[in-house]
Formats: sequence, structure tokens, C-alpha cells
Amino acid sequence: MDRFKQMIADRHEYAKAWKKKTGGLVVGYCPNYMPEELAYAAGMLPIRIMAEQKPDVVSAKWIYASCYVAKNMTNMLLNGEYDYMDAFVHVEDCQWTFNVFEVASNNFPSLLTHYLFTPDYTEGPIAKDVFRSELNVLKGKFEAWTGKAVTEEALDKAIEIYNTNRRLLRQIYEMRRFYQTKILGSEMMNLMLANQVTDKAEMNKILEDFIVELDARAPYDDRLRLMLVGSETFNADLEELVESLGANVVVDELDNGSSNIWNDVVLHKDRLMALSLRYMGRPHSAMKDSNWRRRPQHIFELSEDYMVDGVLVVKQLVCQAHGSDNYAVWKLLRERNIPFHFFERDTTLPLDETRVRIESFLSMLRPGVTRIRGWHQPLGI
Amino acid sequence: MTQDYWKWPETSFTSGEIDWKKAGKITAGVDVGSTSTQAAVMCDGALFGYASIHTGADFKKAADDAIGKAMGSSGMGVKDIGAIAATGWGGFNAAYATSTMDEVSCHARGGRFIYGPSVHTIVDLGGQTVAAIRLYDWDRVWDFFMNDKCATGMGRNVETLCDLLQVPIEEIGALSLDVPVDPEPVSTTCYAFAQTETMGLLGRPEYRAEPMTINQVYASHLFAIATRALGTIGKLQPLDVGDITVYKELGFTGGLAKNPGVTKRIEKDLNVTALTGEYDPILAGAIGAALLA
Repeated sequence: MDRFKQMIADRHEYAKAWKKKTGGLVVGYCPNYMPEELAYAAGMLPIRIMAEQKPDVVSAKWIYASCYVAKNMTNMLLNGEYDYMDAFVHVEDCQWTFNVFEVASNNFPSLLTHYLFTPDYTEGPIAKDVFRSELNVLKGKFEAWTGKAVTEEALDKAIEIYNTNRRLLRQIYEMRRFYQTKILGSEMMNLMLANQVTDKAEMNKILEDFIVELDARAPYDDRLRLMLVGSETFNADLEELVESLGANVVVDELDNGSSNIWNDVVLHKDRLMALSLRYMGRPHSAMKDSNWRRRPQHIFELSEDYMVDGVLVVKQLVCQAHGSDNYAVWKLLRERNIPFHFFERDTTLPLDETRVRIESFLSMLRPGVTRIRGWHQPLGI
Repeated sequence: MTQDYWKWPETSFTSGEIDWKKAGKITAGVDVGSTSTQAAVMCDGALFGYASIHTGADFKKAADDAIGKAMGSSGMGVKDIGAIAATGWGGFNAAYATSTMDEVSCHARGGRFIYGPSVHTIVDLGGQTVAAIRLYDWDRVWDFFMNDKCATGMGRNVETLCDLLQVPIEEIGALSLDVPVDPEPVSTTCYAFAQTETMGLLGRPEYRAEPMTINQVYASHLFAIATRALGTIGKLQPLDVGDITVYKELGFTGGLAKNPGVTKRIEKDLNVTALTGEYDPILAGAIGAALLA
């Protein structure tokens, strides 16, 4: 198992060890726009709550209709797998994950909870001011929970660490722009996920070492280059499947992938405003894009920058955010003649169905490329 | 002995006119689907033999039987075939195959063989999947979509319905068209829901303001299947934005292509008449695999 996949698997143990070592609070969050810098400055460890594909034993009675991500999150929370988590911040974005937040709030009275309002029109004239005031409320909550003030010095340090983290990730993404890539999509996805459950100061050291390692690594043979767009995922199964069929995901536009790394916090005398400007200025998530529809253009630009042969638009079954967003993405990709394939995914569907689609898509992009015996073998390169 | 209403007849054919020993290139394709298995043997690009059988529980046996029946008593053996491509859900069970191909490419190529170069949209109505495929002028896939959630719109659904309602599968399509006007379709969300709702239409007619005839019940169910397929076709990239004439060059493949209760409703909705071909459309995947092998 690669090291980043192992870090994801060990994330609960890691957070418990971090708590024991530092005595700090662990704050879980979902789904997007979480100002992690603020939590970090308050001495907390922010971790993204992730779903795992496990048999669901408890969540059915709590959530009837929901995406598998929210169902599995609920399942894991109610099963006590996040029992080390001291606080839960839900950042307004997706209704399904809000259900998770509500179930957690109702069932764990001792859990510190906060609902962070995020403007839908992130580019609206008052969005930055509204979000800044929400950040101020959140800061107050963090101070009450930890019993310590969040100082400007602590915020500056947190911002620096997070800016460094984003810069290092962009550096690795940059290496994927060209042919003769040294990193496959599955390893990158695992890295991105590991990054969201690890102390960023520690992660930055890991990333710096990894970049040195990548420089010395022999490149992979060139393959068909794909872009992955759509609902958030919490594993690299799809990337591994793509790789097993002779292609590679070279860039993504996922909420837990690249969309968090493209812009930094720019220094401002008002630290909270600096954070607000950064988060309101990041590439729109699907839920925040219904007014301006900038996300399709962003996806197109990434596809051009990364010289992709085709785009996989993958929606989680009953995903609220991407249900209305995908059509705008299709429209623009069609107008620009970028080949793409759309499909819905769910853990209840057999992997072979996804394999058939991707194999067909790869054949469409480059006829004959998947004509290899043994595609039914277990995944792996 | 009870009748197996769901069982469609198995077919096979081996040409007596083509001398395979004189053929320069012999290829074969086997399409092992979830419900049916087809094999096609081509000699110099002409269809030499084919077979269409029920897959059953043993995919490997189905693959072996199909190729055996397609070769018939011609004396040809698997070793005489230069290349064999396998496709379909169970394609990897064909141990004799020299390569595997994706279903979309195979149906696209097979559809062109059956319907000729004018076909630009192929709708594969299979046992568990429906795939809408858009083709370039040349034999290459431009765009495709497949059903996502379950087998609601597919052949296996019709098989179990025929068993449930005790109507022969070859007749249900024509019977469903014998209605003055199409009733509302049943649920298209789930195969099990659809069948439960269909059975509900039959029950307690005294409580219905206008009790449905059995043909209307068939129509309601097959209309739902056509609706599901239309949802997939509608996602395809238009040939030219705003131009719907592209559907005029449409051909059906797969087992449900032989069910007029589904195909006629799709044609009506799209305002087209589907192309007709010389060969059984269920063979498209196997023929395509043979041509691409």
C-alpha cells in the first residue's frame, strides 16, 4: 500500500495520537469552504470527515434518501469511529452532509458543533463581508471551546503554513501537466486525501521530501490523459481503475482535490477579511456556481493546461450539488469539442459497470488502445 | 408442463454457400451478455455463421456453446479462426478469445454492418444495459451514454414480466401496441417497483374508474422501458445543436430491438422510423467483435 493510502487508513489513529501528544481539540468538518487556518490558529487539528465504503448498519433509519457519502459518514459517526472528534463544523454547501451534521448534533450532546453559513453568491458584492462576519463568529466559538484567544500571530503562522501547503501541492500538480509524468492519478488522489487529515506543518515536510523523491523518480510511460470532474470521492478506486485500463488521471476538479489549492490567503491587516477573500475567491464548488457558472470555464481551462485527451464527469448517485451542475459542464465541453463521458456512481453498483464505461470511453478516444487480454484481472498496475 | 413464457427462441445459422477453407481471413466475435450470448463467425468480412442462445448461469459454457453452434457442422474449429474477440459482461469467460473488446465499440461496428453506413445513432437495448451511441461518418464512436442505476429499461425486465403475466415474450410487444392510446408509464425508477406497479394495475379493477385492459397494462410497462431508454438517448451529443434530424439515422441493436412495444414507442417519441437491416439486431455485438478482432 502506498504511504498516502496508508495515511488515510490510519487517520483515526493519527488524530488520536495527535490529541494525546498536544492535548488539543480535533475538529471535523464537511464539506467545502472550511477555513482550516482559523481552526489551526486556535490550536485545533482540522480534519475532513470522510466516508468509507462499508456495510451500512445504522444510518438507514436516520437518512432515507441521501448520497452514499453522507450515509457512510453517518454510519461511521454513529458507530463511534469518530469518537475522538471533539467538534464538528458544517460549512453550508450540501444538504446531504447537513443531514449528517444534524444527526451528529442530535446524538452526541457533548460534541461541540457549529454551522458555518457560507454565501451562495460567493462573488456577490457583500459576500466577503458576510463571510468575514461568519468567520468572526466561528473564531469566537473556537476561543470558547479552547479557552484561548486566537491571536493575530497565531493566525499569521497558520496562514503561512497553509499557503505553503497549497504551494507545495500546486508544485506537484504542475509536474502532472506534461507528458512523461512521474506521478499517477491514484497516488495524487491519495496524497490529496491524506493532506486533509494530517497536521499541515507535518504534511508540508512530507510534501517537500516527496517532491525531492519525485524529481529522482523515473517517469511513467505516456498514457491517455484524463481529467476527473464531479462529486467528491474518498478513495482512489476510480483512478486505479483508469490506470489498470492503460490511462491516467492527470488532473481533477473535485472538491477534495484540486479546487482547494489554486489560491492563497493574501496578507491583509484584517486577517479574517484575508481569509474571507481567499475562500470566496477559490474556484466555485458546484453548489456555489449556480449564478455565474464559472466552474465549466475553470474545468475547460484545466483540461487545456493539462493537455487531457478526455474528461470523465462522474456524479455520485443522488448527489445534490452536481445534479444541476453537470449539464452546464457538458454544454461547455461540447461547445469546445472536449470529449467527455458522464456517468453516475454508487458503491452498490458493481465495479465492472464502471469498468465497461471507462473501457468504452478509452476506445472512443483512441480506438484499439484497450484491446488487451486480461482487463478482468484484479486492479493494479 | 408449464410454459416458459419468458424464453425467446434460440437461433443459429451456418452458411452452406461460403467455403470457409477458401477464406483469406476468418475472425469471430462472442458477446456474452447477462441474459443472452451470441457468437458470429466472419469469413472475409461476410457473415459465415452465428448463434444466439440463453446465457444461463454458466457463462463459460454459454461462450463455448455459442461459438460451437455458429461453426455448426461446417468442420471449422476454433483453431481455424485467426482472431476471436470477446465482449459483453461475461466476455472474459470465453477462454478461446484472443482479445477482449468493449461493448460500445462492438455494437457501433456491428450496427454499421447491419444497418449500413447511413446509421449515426445506435441504441443497444440489452439484457441489463441500454447504451446510446453516436457515430461519426466513419466507423468510430463519437459519443455514448449508458444507463446508470439498474436494469429497469432492459430485456431481463421484460423476461420476468412475461413470466409473471404469462404472456409469450414474442407477443407482448405487438399486444402492447393494440391500445387506442398509451396509458401513463409505470415507475421508471426501479425494475422491482415497475413490476409491482404493473401488477397493481391488474388488481381490484372495481376500484378503478376505468379498469385497464391487459394490453394497456403491457403498454404501461413497455412505455416505461421506452421512457428510460429515451432518457439515455437524449443525453447524446446532438449532431448539430438544435438539429434533431440526426435521429432519423437510428438503428436498434440487442434483444429488445425485436420488441416493437419498446422500439415503436421510442420511434414515435423521436419522430423517426428506425433503420431496418438484413440480420438479427441481437447479433450486433458479436458481429462487431468479429469485425474488430
